[in-house]
Amino acid sequence: MNSLKVQNGEVFNHNEIEFLNADKFHASVLNGLSNGYRMIGLFPVDKKNPNKIVSILSDSASSSLYIIGYENKGDKLEFESFANQFPQTNYFECELAENYGYKPLYHPWLRPVRKQNIILGSQPYKFFKLDGDEVHEVAVGPIHAGVIEPGHFRFQCHGELVYHLEINLGYQHRGIESLMLNANPNQRIILSESIAGDTVIGHTSTHCNAFESLTETQINLRAQVIRSIAEELERIAMHLTGLGGIANDIGFALPASAYGRLRTLVINSLASLCGSRFGRGLFVYGGVRFDFNDENIKQIKSNLEIVKKDIEAINDFLFSSTGALIRFENTGVVSKDFAGKIGLVGTAAKACGIELDSRINFPYGAYRYFPVSPITLSTGDVFARARLRALEIDESLRFIFEQLENIPSGITTEKVGELRINSGVISIVEGWRGEIIHSAFTDEEGKIIQYKIKDPSFNNWYGLSLALRNTAISDFPLCNKSFDLSYAGHDL
Amino acid sequence: MELTSILQGIISLVLILGLSPLFVGLVNKQKAIFTGRIGASLLQPYYELMKLIKKETINATSSSFISAVTPMINFIAVVIAAAMLPISFAHPLISFEGDIILFAYMLGLARFFQVLAAMDIGSSFEGMGAAREATFAVFAEPIFFFTVGSIAFISGFTSIYDIYHSIRLDNLSFVVFIIVCSISVFILAVTECSRMPVDDPNTHLELTMIHEVMILDNSGIDLFLYQYSSYIKLFIYVILEASFFYPFAVQSYTLGIIIFLVVIFILSAALAAVETITSRFKMKNIPHYLLFATAIGILNLLIYTFTR
Repeated sequence: MNSLKVQNGEVFNHNEIEFLNADKFHASVLNGLSNGYRMIGLFPVDKKNPNKIVSILSDSASSSLYIIGYENKGDKLEFESFANQFPQTNYFECELAENYGYKPLYHPWLRPVRKQNIILGSQPYKFFKLDGDEVHEVAVGPIHAGVIEPGHFRFQCHGELVYHLEINLGYQHRGIESLMLNANPNQRIILSESIAGDTVIGHTSTHCNAFESLTETQINLRAQVIRSIAEELERIAMHLTGLGGIANDIGFALPASAYGRLRTLVINSLASLCGSRFGRGLFVYGGVRFDFNDENIKQIKSNLEIVKKDIEAINDFLFSSTGALIRFENTGVVSKDFAGKIGLVGTAAKACGIELDSRINFPYGAYRYFPVSPITLSTGDVFARARLRALEIDESLRFIFEQLENIPSGITTEKVGELRINSGVISIVEGWRGEIIHSAFTDEEGKIIQYKIKDPSFNNWYGLSLALRNTAISDFPLCNKSFDLSYAGHDL
Repeated sequence: MELTSILQGIISLVLILGLSPLFVGLVNKQKAIFTGRIGASLLQPYYELMKLIKKETINATSSSFISAVTPMINFIAVVIAAAMLPISFAHPLISFEGDIILFAYMLGLARFFQVLAAMDIGSSFEGMGAAREATFAVFAEPIFFFTVGSIAFISGFTSIYDIYHSIRLDNLSFVVFIIVCSISVFILAVTECSRMPVDDPNTHLELTMIHEVMILDNSGIDLFLYQYSSYIKLFIYVILEASFFYPFAVQSYTLGIIIFLVVIFILSAALAAVETITSRFKMKNIPHYLLFATAIGILNLLIYTFTR
């Protein structure tokens, strides 16, 4: 495998990447994928020059990332697809085709990712359709009955049973990746805070890690710990929202409102640190803008004590209720085999029994010194995804209490230098939903030429489609909530 | 019919029409309190109805006259059914031998047109909701005839007013029937009025709805009529249950009215409690739940046959 091996957040000179020809590139990537590596990126190094692309593979067992380059020398932009053998690469190839006009040869199912008319021209996208007298098609969205983000769902059903679900997204495309290239540093942080409104800290943390690597800034341990505490607070808050949503979707009013009440305590804790309940404005390049003091530590501790005490009772109530268990168990099952093949990440993958947590597999920031325990469940159904959230909340609470006891002393912001020239970095952070990846590349003047964002939703939407197969259509909202994916994060 | 009984009938009907939104408000308020919230005002359902009247009515371009007339037919059918109900001792406006059948099929007619209108609009999930409603109606209808019908059979009357007036607490088998019947009437109420655990009235998830999805494309006056008739329908079933306690009104009208109100309050609390502490059933398990209620009705008849 001709590749450049790097670590999470390690800055490298992108001239060191060897750009292979079509055959060698294909062989190298296939070799990597057959070793069990996952594809986490497929894009040009320079947004303006689509001829030179890189494929990034990650090996979570050895915490390594492999960058394989490809230079397209022909007149047409094309490469041989990997998707027939490795379905996990399918969506990355579609994205590359849509954004840069590449033609993946022998691709089984080229479909729009965000922009409807690029790949197919003026032709409308033809959804897969079942034929027959007894089958029917249900189209939902992009505008829904409730106030939620837009997305189109096309079900092929036989009675109440779903045979196939296709999900069409892109209604929230804002062009964040392009905006990043010309934005000034302050704007960049605000932009990364708005990638997905529910993962402010996750995305901003990934972005800051990437830029601190590119500017070769070492941030103080105190700031790193504050960042991880904020990240865990966001994880607890969003997992509580998820559990509340799951309870609400089965009409279980008591746990739904109890989880909602606890979430308020958690996001208020975040507000007592930085003034925003969602953690906006906390991050700056080189550290954090707000520091812990005795007052807000006391406040956060007392809030979390209540959460810790109450959540035990509510979890017991929800997970011992027969009615809830009937709804959760064996609903929306994704097998471990499928999950691996389509490259699920985050809570959805952990619920299928795949050990993949960037805090453990690609440690960064404070997690290098203060590890968290891996949590996996094996059944891959709604129950596993709900239960996993409850278990992760416990682990995050343990982590926060431990860190609050002895926060290292030091300054919270370091001075940040200029961006290194001709460099690249791949930054991975475990957001509450799963692995968030930001990749940045600079040119010889230190200007950013490529900024690529991958939200965990990008991998996981397809998992939701698979989970729905042979499931009652009335269980769709429950399955959807158990995945709890972001539309904005996918659409960018 | 005497003037006083006509007057009683008119007052009863006005009370049912006037107080049914309050009952929904009462259930929602208690549900809020049970889940630790303050909740909306008791009068919230009235405000919502008033809001709907003010809004413009829009019909889907693909719909025919069925969609236009259904809300009115639905509402009138439910009001006629309401006019057949005795409030405690009061004589209902419409009452004749065999009105129990008319009562059941007035509600059936309302549902029939609603299902038709849902399919008329031509949206894929409204059709799905219509299919669900029709399927569950098949299982819900026997519940009514096996419970209220069994009391009719036992009492020998076929008018709702007469059936209730034949109830005597000194007859032990009646007491047993009423306890057993109130369970299945409660299940029937929950099913027919799309409450938990069969349907969730508060959900915004169009794919899981049964009743709500059928009115998704309605607005303005049409939606007002649908909402109002669903409030009335719920109240009808509650009164059906509360009127079992008629024998107390024989002793004293005041006692009868007080007990009637207490029973309604207890029922609202029961509904709220059920909605708080249970989760919705899987769609495919709902028929089992309904068959359970039918089985109770059959049990009733068996008890009667063997204790006679």
